[in-house]
Amino acid sequence: MTSKQDSSFSEEKEAKRLFPLDAAPPGARSEKFFGSFFQKRTSFLFRLLATGEGLAGLALLSALVAIALAAPFLAPGDPLAIKGDPLLRPWQNMAHPLGTDRLGRDVLSALIHGARTTLLVAVSAAAAALGIGITIGTIAGFLGGWVDEVLMRIAEAFQTVPAFLLTLALISVTGPRVPTIVLGIAIGAWMQPARITRAEILSLRERDFVAAARVIGMRPLEIAFREVLPNALTPVVSLAAVIVAAAVLIEAALSFLGFGDPNRVTWGSMIAEGRTVLRRAPFLSIIPGIGLVMTVLAVHLTGQGVAKALRTRRHMA
Amino acid sequence: MTAPTRRSLLAGAAALPLLPRAAIAQRRGGRLTVAADSEPPNLNPAIIASNGVFFVASKVIEPLAEAAYTGKDGLAPRLATAWEGAPDGRSMAFTLRQGVTWHDGRPFTSADVAFSALEVWKKHGNLGRAVFRNLEAVETPDAHTAIFRFAEPTPAQLIRNALPALTAVVPKHLYEGTDIMRNPANQKLVGTGPFRFAEWRPGEYTRLVRNPTYWQQDRPHLNEIVYRVLPDRAAAGNALEAEEIQLAAFSAVPLADLDRIAKVPGIKVYSNGYEGLTYQLVVEINHRRKELSDVRVRRAIAHAIDRDFVVRAIFRGYATTSQGPVPKYDRTFHAPDVAGYGFNPQRANALLDEAGHPRGADGIRFRLRLLPAPFFNETRQFGDYLRQALAAIGIEATIVSNDTPAHLRAVYTDRAFDITVASPVYRGDPAISTTILFQSGLPAGVPFANQYGYENAEVDTIIRQAAATIDDAERVRLYRALQKQVTDDVALVNVAEFSFITVARDNVLNVSNNPRWAVSNWSDVGFAG
Repeated sequence: MTSKQDSSFSEEKEAKRLFPLDAAPPGARSEKFFGSFFQKRTSFLFRLLATGEGLAGLALLSALVAIALAAPFLAPGDPLAIKGDPLLRPWQNMAHPLGTDRLGRDVLSALIHGARTTLLVAVSAAAAALGIGITIGTIAGFLGGWVDEVLMRIAEAFQTVPAFLLTLALISVTGPRVPTIVLGIAIGAWMQPARITRAEILSLRERDFVAAARVIGMRPLEIAFREVLPNALTPVVSLAAVIVAAAVLIEAALSFLGFGDPNRVTWGSMIAEGRTVLRRAPFLSIIPGIGLVMTVLAVHLTGQGVAKALRTRRHMA
Repeated sequence: MTAPTRRSLLAGAAALPLLPRAAIAQRRGGRLTVAADSEPPNLNPAIIASNGVFFVASKVIEPLAEAAYTGKDGLAPRLATAWEGAPDGRSMAFTLRQGVTWHDGRPFTSADVAFSALEVWKKHGNLGRAVFRNLEAVETPDAHTAIFRFAEPTPAQLIRNALPALTAVVPKHLYEGTDIMRNPANQKLVGTGPFRFAEWRPGEYTRLVRNPTYWQQDRPHLNEIVYRVLPDRAAAGNALEAEEIQLAAFSAVPLADLDRIAKVPGIKVYSNGYEGLTYQLVVEINHRRKELSDVRVRRAIAHAIDRDFVVRAIFRGYATTSQGPVPKYDRTFHAPDVAGYGFNPQRANALLDEAGHPRGADGIRFRLRLLPAPFFNETRQFGDYLRQALAAIGIEATIVSNDTPAHLRAVYTDRAFDITVASPVYRGDPAISTTILFQSGLPAGVPFANQYGYENAEVDTIIRQAAATIDDAERVRLYRALQKQVTDDVALVNVAEFSFITVARDNVLNVSNNPRWAVSNWSDVGFAG
């Protein structure tokens, strides 16, 4: 073990000697990439906030996240508990400022707790979709050959089915619980990050630093994930916002169709519940609807801000 | 019931215009478009006694008699004109209507009744199987007399109560010698009714047309009935307002929307016409689960439910609270002396403490899986309510929501539930639809039956005795004793009894004029001229 490390160490030196100007040593580029995000975070954040979209989106998103995190303090107790008379209109009784639903449950606490479920599901689903997509895209792009063919044909097979139907089918089989909903949404959304990652990897894998990494004896997958992938992440990360926004809407649509977790409040299920009394108490559907619009808007604006900020970084670089 | 409910007021209001309506000229012809929410693939009412099937099939295929608000035994003759049970309960004679022809032109005779009874109702009927279990033979001395012979004494009262729902007569010449369950006539119906089956376009509509050779003179009034598929409940109300449909039965218009739609000019709301199809909102309890096998726990659950709130908030007043398994409208069999369980969370908590289920540190005594039936908005909403009601007495219920096939499998085949919300239908006699909820030893897979493991030898004895009792008064006594016993045991928790609302344009005449109106033949329905 030690001898191998020693040898790879010496090979690294050798690589430095062989490619003094052209290629940064393996690892350096990825550090630079992460550095721009994390070490010089203040300047990236500054650029993000300098874009109007970034500022508005981030403000809205932080407010939503704060509400979701603080739900147990803002609206203590079970949000599904029956607290008052059914179908109170907003502002009618200040104990229930946003009114009550058909069973007398407080709309405000449902809205607050709904933000929690919605964001939880959306962010986990997006993370899972990105995770699956990036892994598969990296493997396909870097290894190429039949592995690439097989993985991309699988991705295409998934892409031919509308994502929502795929999710719906999975959930109707496994039953509506939060983990399966997250998985279901992820399974309908991993293809795009996979393809983009693969494309980026393809353009990167012939670069000299990859050859250098090969020379120092790194294993192919190690090179793919440790050296190439970090350089391919930028466009994929800007895709995250689109996926989160889509996940929010898919989760809402699932709950609306009755495929949400019935033991949790979600905005989609609130809209579905309110639909039966749409003409009589439209606020029951409109209020969670506004919540959904706000969330999707916030995520989209933030995503656009991030993309813009990254572009300026590239221009400056 | 101290104050008049909205429902009784509406029922009264709907009954009043019945009198002058006879004076309104009734136009002949016209097409009635009604909202339909399901399209059962098998429409044969002799096999499947279900309201979804009857809604369409009752206009095409007729029973021996139909339910009526007035008249002997609460029945109006259809294919039979008279019936008489023998005092020993061994036979029942039917006089059949003369001059009736099938839609394909063949004459209707006693042979059709004999074939339907022995080959279809007894062998394939989902409810008929039980009622006609002891039917041994049907004698046909002439073309218009059918005498049913029973192997065991069978109460005439039971057969009479079964006539509207379980005696749809199908044509022998189309079914004889075929696989009855797969006969194409189960879908393309052939009957004797006032309307003929014209076409079914899946996902769009089912169309019936006037039968010009109907046995009743000058009937039906309508030329066509079109069942337009509108699975979205919000759509039915809008379609009525837009006059795209003229009638929405079975509460196709959501209850919460009724207050508003009742005020729209040209639209009428009928809350009667479903007495013969009363549904019961019940909580079924899996008696195999250790905690729930203790009657104190079951009583605690019964005490935890605020029935008045359920009627007010979930049914918007269009229901009645219920404590026993026979609904109040059946004055013959309903046991008024069953006290039942009032809303009393303190008592419920005390009972649970007593049963040895103290609250844990988190306030929870034990956890249950709750499967609300997905059949109605109300059963789902009651599931949400029940979860909260149980939380108040320290029982944490996790809702498991399924679609209809998965729900039926989970509850009635796999028995994978702790409590479920169900909505059995009461069909006019406890022997038809009530005893099956309590008798033990049923095989798994029989839906809407005792799959929750309730077993009480005394109850089984009462059920057996009552089945063999032919004296009307004695049957009533036994079935009242049954209600008392199962309510004491909390075999299941009865919460409310509900039926449906019909909303129609006000130019549609003769709506809701019998206790099974939505599933009757509509031969007198027409448009105001």
